[in-house]
Amino acid sequence: MDNQEIKKNKGREHPLSVVINEAVNFFTSLGFEVATGPELEDIWHNFDALNVPKDHPARDMQDTFYVKGEDGKVLRTHTSSVQIRFMENFAKSGKTPPFAIIAPGKCFRNEATDATHEMQFYQIEGLLIGEDINMANLKGILSSFYKKMLGDDTNLRFRPSFFPFTEPSIEFDLKYKGKWIEMGGAGMVNPKVLENCGIDSEKYQGFAFGPGLERLMVIKYVMPDIRPAHHGDLRFNQI
Amino acid sequence: MKISYNWLQNYFKEKLPTPEKISEGIIFHSFEVEEVEEIKNDTIFDIKILPDRAHDCLSHWGIAKEISDIFDLKIKNKEYKVFESKQTNLKIEIQDEKCLRYMGRVIRNIKVTESPIWLKEKLNAIGQKSINNIVDAANFVMFDLGQPIHSFDLDKLESEKIIIRNGVLGEKLTTLDNKEVNLDESILVISDEKDPLVIAGIKGGTKAEVDNNTKNIVIEVANFNPTTTRKTAKKINILTDAVKRYENEISSELAEIAMNSIAEMIVSLSGGEVENIVDIYPKKVEQRFVVVSVNYINKRLGSFFSKEEIESVWKKLNFTYTEDNGEFKIEIPYLRIDLVYPYDLVEEVIRILGYDRLEEKLPEFKLESKINESFSKMLQAREKLLSDGYSEVMTYAFRDKGEVEVLASASDKKFLRTNLTDGLLESLKLNQLNAPLLEMKEIKIFEIGTVFFKDREEMHVAYNEKKPTSTRGDSSTRGGNIVEVLLEDFVLKTSDIFSSGPRSSSQIVSPSEIEARPDHSEKASDAFKKFVPWSIYPFISRDVAVWMPEGESKDELKKILIENGSELLVKEPYLFDSFTKDGKTSYAYRLVFQSYDRTLTDIEVSDIMTKINQKIVEKTNWQIR
Repeated sequence: MDNQEIKKNKGREHPLSVVINEAVNFFTSLGFEVATGPELEDIWHNFDALNVPKDHPARDMQDTFYVKGEDGKVLRTHTSSVQIRFMENFAKSGKTPPFAIIAPGKCFRNEATDATHEMQFYQIEGLLIGEDINMANLKGILSSFYKKMLGDDTNLRFRPSFFPFTEPSIEFDLKYKGKWIEMGGAGMVNPKVLENCGIDSEKYQGFAFGPGLERLMVIKYVMPDIRPAHHGDLRFNQI
Repeated sequence: MKISYNWLQNYFKEKLPTPEKISEGIIFHSFEVEEVEEIKNDTIFDIKILPDRAHDCLSHWGIAKEISDIFDLKIKNKEYKVFESKQTNLKIEIQDEKCLRYMGRVIRNIKVTESPIWLKEKLNAIGQKSINNIVDAANFVMFDLGQPIHSFDLDKLESEKIIIRNGVLGEKLTTLDNKEVNLDESILVISDEKDPLVIAGIKGGTKAEVDNNTKNIVIEVANFNPTTTRKTAKKINILTDAVKRYENEISSELAEIAMNSIAEMIVSLSGGEVENIVDIYPKKVEQRFVVVSVNYINKRLGSFFSKEEIESVWKKLNFTYTEDNGEFKIEIPYLRIDLVYPYDLVEEVIRILGYDRLEEKLPEFKLESKINESFSKMLQAREKLLSDGYSEVMTYAFRDKGEVEVLASASDKKFLRTNLTDGLLESLKLNQLNAPLLEMKEIKIFEIGTVFFKDREEMHVAYNEKKPTSTRGDSSTRGGNIVEVLLEDFVLKTSDIFSSGPRSSSQIVSPSEIEARPDHSEKASDAFKKFVPWSIYPFISRDVAVWMPEGESKDELKKILIENGSELLVKEPYLFDSFTKDGKTSYAYRLVFQSYDRTLTDIEVSDIMTKINQKIVEKTNWQIR
């Protein structure tokens, strides 16, 4: 069979997968390594290690799925839990920063479904720690990422926000086709989080980000609704 | 929190910038503004105040201070009325450290009446109901300064003694909403010498309720342990505006100004004689200092701010500070509980100066690309299946049954899937129905995803396989068999496809070795394939097959189909079969009709097909099959 025929007989890709892999390729080409972690997480990795203590209002910031009969488990609300797993292992291995990871993965939020919200969705978590990784670097990486995904005619801006695991914390918007669109949250990793994982926060610093990928897919391909993405409907595979 | 523009204006002598400018300033320097609503004579901002600033900004005063910092406007100096000293017999006893400070003050000979219009309007503007002058005044001060306030009818107390203690198992309290709460020793209460009166920091009870006949009151301005207040509120399921503030840890130093404010307000609204304050403050908050250097700030931000520029931020924020060789020692305002470490001050610098001052600089680091086994296996499996003609689907992780159940799900599905097969079968059915629309002869689908068991989660691969054809060759059973295996097993089974020689088990294929998918990324945005939403109405498909002399082009036939197919053709007619025999070639096209706003009828479609057939018949050397 020639190349044309081979291509014709190939199955159709899921647009979300295409976006995920493109995003991963961008970061791996810069030297980030892929990290993974469980979807059904324990509370230490999903909350405590990320500076979200029990009985603190910060736990209300996300609608969490708790598990019946298992007090210590949750469906991960963000891929930030993978940061913790990676850093804990890294610290134990005796290696020293810098390290850079990218963790694409499914997350879960217990909220009502509509055209822009699903109970399960993908985030791509990024973490870069070194001796002088700073917030201007965060801006540079994110700006570069979105230019790759959506084209050169994009502009990034930061707005102050709050996450317990970053300080400063920001939300970033992207100007695309004349409109400003919310894309996700990020910030400089809170030194407490580094310490929780055994990384020396006096010597090392860096940033983390975790934008949602459905949002990116919907914007890139101009989709009116994200829900068909998980209906198993091949009419969705139009890329 | 709902914030009124007019209420904010009261803090300033100068006219405030327009609501739009205020909103913009807050968004880029402080908080997200979720909504700006014009109401009669006022503008209401709905500001999203997150846990880090809830202790000082769930109040108009807090927001006014932010505006003052952002726009360099001076806040009016507010002087509260100082009352003549008047002896009091009020006694306060704190019996548990969950109460961090308790200020009580008796006001005699008040009159409970309707609130004046200005007060009603202020409360209504932010969505609060007016009750009476005393309750409204307390609410006003809470939304103004961020300090919750409670009032008791003094004459309903057993004596002029207030005790802050733990509840006793068996005790009950009926709240002002007529909800009966069972108390225990984990619940802090305000009580008189006999009964519990208030669930501390949460809700008042009916015993000491202020009503229209109340003549003498006790004002409570207090602070309670944030964690225990939150725990209790969740336990008894009562969440109030007071709880929202206490659980975010307000400063005990807020109490004085709040007490002065409420006393002045009550007297001006209802008259009365104000007795001296009784203030029990077991552990006074200490003045904190944080040291931060210019270098530290610039290092964390990746900026080049001068010492002077950073100093301008402290000045804007009204911080008292000293400086020594590029190092600042900042006296942290009592109310700024969130400023604890040097890195907290870094955020103050950049948000005040503005994030647009931050450059975009790609980081420099040299790291060897490493392979993640789990992800690599996923890519491998995906590539294998796509190459073999399987299309990728994703289905929901939540199902009707399973081993792991989630609590209080917002949907009716509360179990995590134990297999991919169930979801894939549904997907198969749906896609088989839509085959004509999809232009697929056979449906081949796969999913790679996580399944959940009681004690573990696994990554599975599932795809459908042709059932061995029965003698009847029944098309409905075709492809109905789902194969589901562990991702590892699938990769092991199929890995020989990728090997170009003996491989050790540690050599996993890297993503770059896998044949590159068409690069969708480096195109101008208008070149991205635009998504075509599909109709929710059913489609009708019809086939047309025509014999024509061998060698004659089928394009003419396709042209006729397109020209006569009408606008109801939801896609271009496509060739699904062709063969040549005895000098003639048969071409079979599938036409798919569908409307975006209604269900089509058979008659409509038949009419179209009739017209098409007529046009085909006009071609003398063609033959409809």
